[in-house]
Amino acid sequence: MTEAYAVPVPKGYRVGVWEVREPIATGAFGSVYEGRRTGDLIGEELPRTAALKFLPTGTGTPRQLTHLRELVEREVELHRRLRRPRLIRMYETLTVDDPSRPVLDGATVLVLEKAERSLSALLAAAPRPAAGPALLAQICEGLAQLHRAGWVHGDLKPANVLLMKDGSARLADFNMAAELEGTHAYTPAFSTPDYTPPELLWSEIGERGRRIRPSADIWAFGVLAHLVLTDSLPLPGGTPTARRDAAVAYARGTDELRLSPELPDAWREIVRDCLSRTHADRVGTDALLRRVEEVAGSGRSPRLPRVLPPRRRRAAVALVSAVATAAVAALGYGISNWADSGSGDAKSSEAASYGASELRTDKGIPVQYRRLIVDSAHDCLQKEVSPALIAAMLKSESNFDPNLSDPAKDEYGIARWTPSLLRWWIRSDGTTASATPEPPLSPAVSIPAMGRYLCFMEPLLETSLPGDRRILLAAAYRTSYKKVNAAGGIPPKYRTYTARVAHYLKEYTAPGKT
Amino acid sequence: MYSIIVVPPPTPEDERNRNQFRLAPGERLTFGRSTHGVDVTIPHEGVSRRAGEITAQGAFWILSNLSREQTYVVENPEGAGEHMKVGPGRLDAPVPFEFSRIVLPAAGDLLPIEVWAPRHDYLHSEAGPDGATTAPAFSVDRTKRYFAVLAALCEPRLRGEPHASLPTVDQVVDRLRPNWPAASRTSVQWNIDYLAVKLRLKPGPDEADTGPRLNGKKESLVSLALRFDLVREDDLVVLAASPSGRVAR
Repeated sequence: MTEAYAVPVPKGYRVGVWEVREPIATGAFGSVYEGRRTGDLIGEELPRTAALKFLPTGTGTPRQLTHLRELVEREVELHRRLRRPRLIRMYETLTVDDPSRPVLDGATVLVLEKAERSLSALLAAAPRPAAGPALLAQICEGLAQLHRAGWVHGDLKPANVLLMKDGSARLADFNMAAELEGTHAYTPAFSTPDYTPPELLWSEIGERGRRIRPSADIWAFGVLAHLVLTDSLPLPGGTPTARRDAAVAYARGTDELRLSPELPDAWREIVRDCLSRTHADRVGTDALLRRVEEVAGSGRSPRLPRVLPPRRRRAAVALVSAVATAAVAALGYGISNWADSGSGDAKSSEAASYGASELRTDKGIPVQYRRLIVDSAHDCLQKEVSPALIAAMLKSESNFDPNLSDPAKDEYGIARWTPSLLRWWIRSDGTTASATPEPPLSPAVSIPAMGRYLCFMEPLLETSLPGDRRILLAAAYRTSYKKVNAAGGIPPKYRTYTARVAHYLKEYTAPGKT
Repeated sequence: MYSIIVVPPPTPEDERNRNQFRLAPGERLTFGRSTHGVDVTIPHEGVSRRAGEITAQGAFWILSNLSREQTYVVENPEGAGEHMKVGPGRLDAPVPFEFSRIVLPAAGDLLPIEVWAPRHDYLHSEAGPDGATTAPAFSVDRTKRYFAVLAALCEPRLRGEPHASLPTVDQVVDRLRPNWPAASRTSVQWNIDYLAVKLRLKPGPDEADTGPRLNGKKESLVSLALRFDLVREDDLVVLAASPSGRVAR
């Protein structure tokens, strides 16, 4: 593969204390070179060799890419905030100051832990590696470390898993990584088709990017596990487009998942639970990690098998194939040095004022639900379905108690959903879930479903009904739109409830709104 | 997850607000004169009871002509006369256009069914068509009118004024007229609406302040386009008058 390097840097070029050596890989946005430390630094913990990731962020760059800056910032931000054993480590960032080379001037250089090669290079050289299960356990551990810290990777795939000299795996390339805000994170609208969960294919994109959840990484892990263990992708098709269509057909329920017969039974269950049709049905990261470790027999402190041949000649071959594979893949590099884990103040105040133009911030609406409430309301074009209405209803239904459980009435969770009814509204694509959800029902499921149900009922309430339509809607939620229509208004039985909703609706509505 | 949008012929009542049907890959829509057994009824004497069937197939669609005698013409309205014919009885003919108009010849009237395929893929300059490459989630056809409209909207900000106010629809019409003499408020607004569908614009929370939630559509489109470099400064050449004077409807 002789594809041109996105950022050509001559051998011997100096940046900071580093001298550029051999090229390692290039991606669409930047290029990675081996760097050798020059001079002896006392008291600084820099290794002798590192991977230097050059990103053309200079103003003189011919292709001045605004999104590139954003991607670089994401990566550096994650490195700065997070340092975990299973994530590639970043030592420092540098900026090239060299006006005589316009292509390089202003480029950002990330100095990263040097890996031996990427998982995609390993798979190209030796499909179905014997160490596959152990590697998967380590990759899953890396995901768990990210998710527990409140981040989503957003672009997990073999090219972004790096293998160290001792054969262990680390996650890398955090250009798409994003910190969770509530249940979602916002990532740039880039994705790798074969590893993208169906709900994100052709998903809506707001000005802040695409909303993703940790379950997107779980889907990608399922695809990756299938590939590592069977040397094939789980969805059928000879091209990415055909596989994307297969993913859509599967997610819509018109086709079944047919995993490779080569997949061992224990892994089949795991992969199946990663590749569930909807994000809500996917296995959680911690549960996944426990199961993967059990199956891989790796336990809590895995002994690392050597997956790399120790002999020098074979290593050279491996490096060549690493270059070849990475040339068509994105850069597999990223991670963390600055141990100060930063503060989340800016982020949390943003969450606390989310949707403040419509929803008051001083009336005790729990901050962690604001985004869900506001976004669920905005998913509906009916103006009656407002953030304040949803908040007032949650207050009246459960007093914002996500753990509410009322088996006598068969109602559960923050929105008091009856599971058999929730089944109709749980999916964002308008289809019915294949099975009735079982309690506990999380707010992330309950609140958007409430928004969808209200949105559905609004046009079905007769226009001749007297009173505030929002309150009529609340009554319809408690009983049904048919009963409200039949009663010609709020049935007497529900007036106590609707009075409470009306009270909080007024209290929660931001000034200047009605 | 839909990939195809079908807009049936207008009826006198809903001239302004035409119904749209969204099809996901594998879904099909039948049309014809019959009032039952078809998904879209076209109340016109000259149309067969079961006239045809549209099926979304990935990012494109296929057309079956179920009539016994009529040939349907599928036009590309932006294609300077480009069209294909689907003869009677032909099943599953693939249609390559992003915008299409199926014209049903019905006793002297021509009834148009519009079909949009907003999910067509295009090669990204940075990467090959490889399922393992990180790729932007958008693909736009730089030769289409919607791209010229988007470029005109982005132009003030790309010319170096990051906070310039956006051009009004009328200004966009004036800007595009040299290359597109038939440009009008309606056609520009239509392209803006189409872009919002194509780029899967999600109404933002702030826009709730301005009443109907898609009011800030132009603003959202521009910020999305600039943020993801859908339009760059060198793309503004699409706004320059072409010497040949492109033929336009």
